[in-house]
Amino acid sequence: MAEKLPPLTLSSLDKKRRKVSFNNRYGWFFISFCLILLALFMLYPIISSLIMSTFSSRGMISRYVGLGNYKRLLHDTVFLQALKNTLLFFIIQMPIMLFLALMIATLLNNKAIKFRGVFRTGIFLPAVTSLVTYATLFKMMFSLEGFVNRFLMTTHLISDPIPWLVDPFWARITVMIALTWRWTGYNMVFYLSGLQNIPDELYEAAKIDGANALQQLGRITVPLLKPIILFTAVTSTIGTLQLFDEPTSFASGGVTAATIGPGNSLLTMSVYIYNLCFKYMPNFGYAATVAYVIVILVAILAFVQFKLAGDRR
Amino acid sequence: MRRWLPLFLVLLLLLTILGTTVFAAEKSGKITIWAWDPNFNIPVMAEAKARYQKVHPKVEIEIVDMAKADVEQKLNTVLASGAREGLPDIVLIEDYNAQKYLQAYPGAFADLTKKINYKDFAEYKTELMTLKRKIYGVPFDSGVSALFYRKDILAEAGFKPSDLNNITWDRFIEIGKIVKEKTGVAMVGFDTADGGTMRIMMQSAGQWYFDAKGDPHIVKNDAIREAFLTYKKLVDSGITKTTSGWNEWVAAFNKGETATVLTGCWIIGSIKAEASQAGLWAVAPTPRLNLKTSVNYSNLGGSSWYITAKSRNRQVAEDFLNATFAADRDLYQKILVEQGAIGSYLPSQNGPAYTEADPFFDGQKVYADFAAWMREIPPVNYGLFTYEADSAMMTVMPDYLAGKINLETALKRAEDQLKNQIAF
Repeated sequence: MAEKLPPLTLSSLDKKRRKVSFNNRYGWFFISFCLILLALFMLYPIISSLIMSTFSSRGMISRYVGLGNYKRLLHDTVFLQALKNTLLFFIIQMPIMLFLALMIATLLNNKAIKFRGVFRTGIFLPAVTSLVTYATLFKMMFSLEGFVNRFLMTTHLISDPIPWLVDPFWARITVMIALTWRWTGYNMVFYLSGLQNIPDELYEAAKIDGANALQQLGRITVPLLKPIILFTAVTSTIGTLQLFDEPTSFASGGVTAATIGPGNSLLTMSVYIYNLCFKYMPNFGYAATVAYVIVILVAILAFVQFKLAGDRR
Repeated sequence: MRRWLPLFLVLLLLLTILGTTVFAAEKSGKITIWAWDPNFNIPVMAEAKARYQKVHPKVEIEIVDMAKADVEQKLNTVLASGAREGLPDIVLIEDYNAQKYLQAYPGAFADLTKKINYKDFAEYKTELMTLKRKIYGVPFDSGVSALFYRKDILAEAGFKPSDLNNITWDRFIEIGKIVKEKTGVAMVGFDTADGGTMRIMMQSAGQWYFDAKGDPHIVKNDAIREAFLTYKKLVDSGITKTTSGWNEWVAAFNKGETATVLTGCWIIGSIKAEASQAGLWAVAPTPRLNLKTSVNYSNLGGSSWYITAKSRNRQVAEDFLNATFAADRDLYQKILVEQGAIGSYLPSQNGPAYTEADPFFDGQKVYADFAAWMREIPPVNYGLFTYEADSAMMTVMPDYLAGKINLETALKRAEDQLKNQIAF
């Protein structure tokens, strides 16, 4: 059988090597540890929880309900409220935070600013502070007679104290402020590192062509930062949809109170999962269903973001 | 040989009996206990441990201090997984959760019906740990509710202590308005996310979120309707001080910003923590609702000890609880003085600590009062879903208080939410 030799190119060599390595027993042996661990701690829980989501349980007693849990979600006002709250954070807080991060990064990338390092560190620091510390401080500052209300009242910006944390609307605002304070610096660092990879020549050329700062931002910075913006958007989406720490720390009494925040205004999907497992009658099956909703939502939103960013890979 | 066999068997039997009695006297083994609150349950348990170990030095007792949420989280996960390992021998469970654990994990907790003399405990406590005529758990602290008030502030507004005895909520609000007007001090702290007051009101009328069959009972529940109306009156009257969370609420009365505290008797430690207010406080029974069935006695919180059925040293654990929390009157005197823990073990309540006058309360025998009120608490079956119901109530409460929805809509919404929450 006359075998026609393929032309010797780099890619064909690559293919050959790949074929060899696929049959390489040692190779498989070495990665087997990793694969087994991955299967045990990633694959198994994923499949197991999917099966679990078809059961409704009361502690040890459980019964098969098929898609019943998913149907139940549609009529579950508490879940719908949790979904609404979570999406509110996603739609309002996340864009503001990312926009602020980009603005601050652009400002701090300016070489004319002195003590840039100090500012950068200062803005990044909130991301590494302990959750409990900052939540306690924020709760003190935003209490009815706290620092924020006193400041606003002595400067005559408001006449009555704002019911931060005790009114459903303001409770959400407070948590949004806190989230923005904590995570803006974190996202800023990504933008800063991205900005440093953009050659100065581009800006110089733009300046010569008469582009103003806004045009430079819109035409040079944002397009070149797109992969990084996409990355921060996707990670922030995941973080927001899994939001747990802030609502539980800011709500009065945390998980032991009757509601998470006044009128359940801070109840997020992750907190609801916790409640379904540990605070209410333990229904792990239903909790797994809610967890899958988060997964599906993250997948959809990430897909949309990739599409919007025009990433073809 | 055959002839000797019966004799041999009898001998063996005798030896076994002898052996068990000998070993029973000399208890040994290790028991683990899970509980929360390092200022309350933990030192109480430590005291019980010290007392028990004096008699049984070979018994090792490990008390594990965790946050309440962590205890519940661990207990739920281990019980649900069906694992035999990782469970404590004794665990503290909040009374509102008792039926949930007993029914969700059948066979997980030891039936103590014949082991403990339940006649010695307050009736409402044994009621909540009874399932199908079997009683589980050893009742511990009582959450008998009380109206703590600042004598000085109320006197300034023109009220004598007798004016606060056995009043209705409407009278409470009237008094509050006068107090606010004359002294400028708010009558009571109010947390929008806390359903405690609601539970006090309901139990004072012998009602709960559920009917006898365990179905949600909200829209047609007189006590809940009355409680909602009272909540609104309270907030509209302007006599409340809005707080968010436990710390702010405690700070409000410690700083003298509220004239009364209306909650379970376990708050006494936090009230006494402000030593500068010694002699200024007094205690009265809680207000009652405008219902014939409502009395001035109710309950908020409280918890009890449970033994896990799979415990390796179940007998030791049973003996430990029996010898301490179900027998040791002195233990109860000690924890009353040191932690302000009011047990529901009735024989202990004739002890010296209970009948002593408390200088912090200007010589009032508050513990004797609590003990007397405890016997009057209407027994209520908390059912399985207290926290689901609590959440449903407080979810609609802000809109109801703000006047955005009326009572019918609020109760209907709460009941619908609850029905969906407890679906199985």
